This record gives sequence, C-alpha cells and structure tokens, in this order.
Amino acid sequence: MSTTAARGVRAVVEVLAKALADRPDDVRVVESQHKQVTLVELYVSPQDIAKVIGRQGRTAAALRTLASTAGEKEGKQVTLEIREGR
Amino acid sequence: MNTTAIVDFLNRVITAFGIEAAVGVEETADGPRFNITGDEAEVLVRHRGEPLKALQHIVDSSYGRGLEGEKRVFIDALEYRKGKDIELRQMAKFLAQKAKDSGLDQQLGPLNPYERRIVHMAVAEVSGVTTESIGDAFSKTVLIQLRK
Repeated sequence: MSTTAARGVRAVVEVLAKALADRPDDVRVVESQHKQVTLVELYVSPQDIAKVIGRQGRTAAALRTLASTAGEKEGKQVTLEIREGR
Repeated sequence: MNTTAIVDFLNRVITAFGIEAAVGVEETADGPRFNITGDEAEVLVRHRGEPLKALQHIVDSSYGRGLEGEKRVFIDALEYRKGKDIELRQMAKFLAQKAKDSGLDQQLGPLNPYERRIVHMAVAEVSGVTTESIGDAFSKTVLIQLRK
C-alpha cells in the first residue's frame, strides 16, 4: 500500500522527488525512527538515480536541506538516504 | 514554459510542509518570479535562506528546461532573496566606485553563479571598471578592477 502522506518529512521528500523523476510512479519514501534520528529512505527508479543526486550531488544536497527543514518543524533530526528501487 | 505547473508544485510543497502560505507569480523580462508569502513561510528563509536555495535548485532541475533564451525561474519567499539581491547590487556598485576612485582592486565573494551575474551586471553600469570571476569551484570571487 502506498498511501501518500499529506504532510511531514516524508510528504516533502515525496513531492520533491516526484517532480525530479522521469518515473514519478516509482518514487517511494519510507520513514523510520532510530533513537533521535529519523531515517528517510528515498527509493527511485534506477534511471532516475542520477537526476535525484545531480551534478556534484547538488540535488541530493538540496533534498537533504529541505528534508531537514521539514524535520525541524516537527523537532526531528533527519537523515536522507537515496536508494535504487525496483 | 508552464508557470502553472510550477505554482502547482510549490503549492504541493507548501501543503507537504504543513504551512499556511500562498504563491504569487510575477512575469518579468528575466523570467517568472514566484514569491511564497504568509507568516509560516519563514521556515524557508531560516539559515540564511538555505531551504529557499535548495528549492530553487530543485525547480531548476525539474522545470528549468524549456525556458526561452536567457530567462530563468526565480523562487523567493517573503521577498527575502529580492532584498538580498538589492543589497548585493548596492555593494557591487559601491565597490566599483571604490575601485575607480582608489585604483585598487576590489573583491566580492565567494558568490554562486546567480549572485555573480548580479555583480557583473551592476558593475557594468559603472564606467571605467571591469569584472572578472576568479577561482574554479561552483562559488567564485568576483574581482573588480580599473579598466586598463
């Protein structure tokens, strides 16, 4: 089941990744809590990995910045991992 | 290019952030300018506007293509970047005048490509001085000197 979170860190990462991806339907975001750290795993189609990371990792850095900003609002410390989905 | 697509995207981002905010669009000769307004848009201008820069980058990557000529999309919140750009323009002109009066080289930076463009264009309005970007990273310093 892939219900879209209306708001929060997961929702922010999902909206951004879907805009970047050529295959937005393959974008999946999983959020889990590990002690103080919120781990956000972004799964994208292998063909979209390069787009989501960007030249010099600039897009990945932008995604991390915005994920942290969204986390800040909820008092969460966010780590974003970009992974290859099926 | 479709400004509606960008407005929709920004509205989705705002909803995802869970903040009360609105998106305004203004068409300029340089391209469309989007300004996010509302008290809660303040989260985007924290940390010297880093989240805003990140959002700009993502819009450039996702929607930046298909713009005609030298037009570019400009993303702002609470006119934060507009204010910053005006300050940078003033600083550039001040340093250009200083270079002209003193004959000494002036430096401004490190600046990103967008900021450097503002400096080059502002200094071009002052006669007798030239600009040059120095350094080889994404951020470079702009050197302002007397025209030889």
